Amino acid sequence: MAVTSFSSLNTSHEAVHARYESVDSLYRETRDMRLLGFVLFLISDVVLFSAYIFAYLYLRNSVPNWPPINKDGHQLPRFDVAFAAINSCVLFGSGATMHFAMESWKHLKKPAFNMWMIATIVLGVLFLGGQAYEYHNAQVTWSGSTLGATFFTLTGLHGFHVFVGVIYLAVLYWQANKGVYTGSKYFGLTAGTLYWHFVDVIWVALFYLFYLM
Amino acid sequence: MAIATAGHIGVASHHDHIHPEPQSFIGKYIFSIDAKVIGIQYMVVGLLFFIVSGLLAEIVRAQLLTPTGAIVSNDTYNGVYSLHASGMIWMTIIPLVTGGFGNYVMPLMLGQRDVAFPWLNLVAFWMFPVAGVLLFGSFLVGAPDAGWTEYPPISLQGPPGTSLWCVAIFLVGISSSLTGINFLVTIFKMRAPGMTFTRMPLFVWAQMATAMLNMIATTALAAALAALFLERQFDIPFYDPGRGGSPVLWQHMFWFYSHPAVYIMILPAFGIVSEVFATFSRKPIFGYKMIAFSSIAIALLGFMVWAHHMFTSGMAPWLQLPFMILTMVVAVPTGVKIFSWLATLWGGKIEFHPAMLFSLGFLIVFTFGGITGVFLSSVPADLYFHGTYFVVAHIHYVLFGGSIFGIYAGVYYWWPKMTGRMMSYKLGVAHFWATFVAFNITFLPMHWVGLQGMPRRVAQYRPEFQFWNDVESIGSFILAGSTLIFLYAIAESMLKGKKAPANPWGARTLEWQVSSPPPYYNFKKIPAVLTNPYDFGEPLPYVGLVRDASNPEHPSTGRASSGTPAHA
Ligand SMILES: [Cu+2]
Repeated sequence: MAVTSFSSLNTSHEAVHARYESVDSLYRETRDMRLLGFVLFLISDVVLFSAYIFAYLYLRNSVPNWPPINKDGHQLPRFDVAFAAINSCVLFGSGATMHFAMESWKHLKKPAFNMWMIATIVLGVLFLGGQAYEYHNAQVTWSGSTLGATFFTLTGLHGFHVFVGVIYLAVLYWQANKGVYTGSKYFGLTAGTLYWHFVDVIWVALFYLFYLM
Repeated sequence: MAIATAGHIGVASHHDHIHPEPQSFIGKYIFSIDAKVIGIQYMVVGLLFFIVSGLLAEIVRAQLLTPTGAIVSNDTYNGVYSLHASGMIWMTIIPLVTGGFGNYVMPLMLGQRDVAFPWLNLVAFWMFPVAGVLLFGSFLVGAPDAGWTEYPPISLQGPPGTSLWCVAIFLVGISSSLTGINFLVTIFKMRAPGMTFTRMPLFVWAQMATAMLNMIATTALAAALAALFLERQFDIPFYDPGRGGSPVLWQHMFWFYSHPAVYIMILPAFGIVSEVFATFSRKPIFGYKMIAFSSIAIALLGFMVWAHHMFTSGMAPWLQLPFMILTMVVAVPTGVKIFSWLATLWGGKIEFHPAMLFSLGFLIVFTFGGITGVFLSSVPADLYFHGTYFVVAHIHYVLFGGSIFGIYAGVYYWWPKMTGRMMSYKLGVAHFWATFVAFNITFLPMHWVGLQGMPRRVAQYRPEFQFWNDVESIGSFILAGSTLIFLYAIAESMLKGKKAPANPWGARTLEWQVSSPPPYYNFKKIPAVLTNPYDFGEPLPYVGLVRDASNPEHPSTGRASSGTPAHA
């Protein structure tokens, strides 16, 4: 097939080719399509979190007192805000460093990009460590109460997203240094940034629901 | 074969625009990324699961031949009807109307070569047979026995298969979500030049509304299923009232998906019959925009009515009222569609092709099911109907009479396009009448049996219901027989069907403007579109279609009786 078409390549062909170039370019997988697909994916991910947030609010409102009683009969305490607040700052800080990384890339400052990316990844790992510490010291268990059930499900789901995000960012860092992206073509980095900010925003909701509300 | 013409239209040399056609058997038919092949894969697997789920229904009907029915044990019976419904809804109708017809027809209708993300499409497809095997495989470890809705706390105590059920439905749900995202990007970003939203075929509009529902609602279902799975396997309390959980929470999460799921199943069928009505009445479709926008209206309203399934769950009376009213409001856009179709048919040159017969049957039966739906949405009536055979009657009028009739119409309509062979007209007509009559014998009596108080999901019942139950069972056996006609018609067409021309019905949408079956790349050159495709009597609104012997400008109609295409 390719042989025949190359043999028929001539100037008039080129003219026709040029005329339909605009048309045919619609039928590649473009950056535009990937971005829309990714945004739609994030929207359906928001629905996933919303469903569990709904479950949390529903269960919370179906008992007279919150925090509820554990299955062994003792009154559960409220979560410790102080530690979670520090850990939240770590995550929000990583949102800021991600932003700087992206800006550096757009301004073609490769070393700054590398530095901010590594900072983001480190902060992400720190957040996961803090989360693990909090799980380890938690007064609630996942099977003890609906508070535990919703807490571990929602923060676990979020933690899983952070975990995937850290790996994703590491891959992006590696790809960027392999020369996969250029100053004008960097869809992967855009998606990574979008995802990381998304994970941040979800945490704002969870922090409010479990620690402040 | 297309090389000679491809040379001077300048597409074949676009190395990256048309993917090379895979040559190996596996690349071509098993792990293909061609939406047409994936569409057919969905249909073949869907047909298989349709037969399995249908046989399960026959076991139910055999059991109910006598009031003390002793064909299967009560436990088995519970598993049988639970898997009948789960199989029909998630493994048959949804994959067929979205993955099947959507993949095959939609890119062609958009003047496209494939969907937006072919690899994602491939992954989404393969989740489906895996999910089906898990679902039906749950029989081996004790099938789920709480019905297709799997309400806790019964589902929390159910046999191990209930957890498999969760995994299977979760998988097929993720598959539909991915397909929904894929289709939305395809529709938003990949229409042929000139194809504005209001020039899209109505089937594409329906797929767009369905894809939105799939993308959003199905994710909520995934959350509910994962929670049920966690509670069953890891003792994490969500639904168990003894531990602070709430069974009503499950109902909210489940119905937030499962009411829209009714529209996921019915909107594509609306799309199919819209195409069939336009083509076989040879008239510009009446109220194109009304039909198109009402799909979106139904999809949006569909998210606001889920609690009408929960009137008896103890919800606050003040909350019942908005759900009741909004549910009745859904009848408005649905009615708009029905009247637009009637106006399209009115004065048309109607051709009673099997696809048209199934679409007309759809119109009658679905309208009936829609009206009983309005009964059920009324709180005082629902308190009485709830949990009776009236609900079973309603759902079968909507899902069998709606979705399955729509699927049959779609198969008869697009079969020549998909296979390149004609199907027997006579067998199609016989299949329609046998199905239509048997369908009504089976499901119509359920209305009054339900009104008289026969509860759904029972393996034994009071003797006075026996007469009508026997009628229903005999009807269902005829219904199974009518499906054999369909299978025979398929086999006959594949073995010795006449070769199909490009456009046997003189239809005007783009998929009919390429050969049957279409080449791997669908369009040698992407055509431009000037109007919506339903102006019968006008010249075709496409510029730049490449014609050759396999798809001439003025298609032969394939049958002398079908009338001349208006533009000939
Ligand atoms: Cu509903």
